[in-house]
Amino acid sequence: MAPSLTRREALGGAAAALVLASCGGGGPPPSTGPPPGSGAALLGSLLALEHAVVAAYAACEEVLSGDTLRNTRAIAEQERAHVIKLQGLIRDLGGEPPPGRSAAEYARTFPRLREPGDALAFAEDLEQRQVRAYLEALAELPDLGLRSAAAEIGADEAVHLAAVRVLHGLPAAQGPFVTGAL
Amino acid sequence: MAERSDVDLLEDLLARENRLLSAYEAALRREAIDVALGETLRDHEQEHARALEEALRHTGRRSPRASVPSHELTAALRSRASFARYAVDLEAKALASYAEAAAAIRNPRLRQPLGSIMACEAAHEVALRESLGDRSLVD
Repeated sequence: MAPSLTRREALGGAAAALVLASCGGGGPPPSTGPPPGSGAALLGSLLALEHAVVAAYAACEEVLSGDTLRNTRAIAEQERAHVIKLQGLIRDLGGEPPPGRSAAEYARTFPRLREPGDALAFAEDLEQRQVRAYLEALAELPDLGLRSAAAEIGADEAVHLAAVRVLHGLPAAQGPFVTGAL
Repeated sequence: MAERSDVDLLEDLLARENRLLSAYEAALRREAIDVALGETLRDHEQEHARALEEALRHTGRRSPRASVPSHELTAALRSRASFARYAVDLEAKALASYAEAAAAIRNPRLRQPLGSIMACEAAHEVALRESLGDRSLVD
């Protein structure tokens, strides 16, 4: 059977794809710094996504309230901690962490968030992309320490994804394998 | 700490899955969990255990035997709230084990799938917190 998307998924997915496209990372590689294969470039991509997600949660907060707002603020706080962690890992490898963009630049790429449902659909899609990105990084990062950090942050993102789904009135777990099977 | 082999890591994860599976089966029998939630979590753990057994079969190892129910489980089955708290703790330990294994396992083809189960255990933890009426879903 052909996979189908709900309208909500399609809207959230398109918006998140725009955010990803705005993350940066498309410039030429630096001439100095960590050698290819060190994992620094991959960590830089994860960091660019984290910067965009932090900005996205700030936009979401404008239409959220009550317990939903409290929970998304807690999530955004953890995303900011991930930014700091990734910046440290990149510096440890001899690299320069990519800076984030301005709030206005990110805002131009975000969908219009009119109500809580819009914000939660957007947040769910971003969290799904983050979980997938960290799991893919697990397969590619060359060093055990870097993979451990990716697994730890990926676990946080999985909690965020489940929490956002619950806040949106959906089951926390979508299935036994979130992005693939053994 | 000595490095653990892939087989050791997989066996440890399978033992954790079997513990979770036994816990949800017992909770369903004793009505210590909402039926729909309990069946979903049990079915997910069954799928995880099946996948791990399959991965272990490829290594030529036999699956570890089931363990007897613990004192803690028996005590936790007295109420839905106590079982949910017990299960949150089990899921948190499973989550930590999967995070460790997904990073440490030598076979790179197993890292992403183990991470995918890790993400499911994280969702279980959130679902159980929700069942407890916990308004804070994120630690």
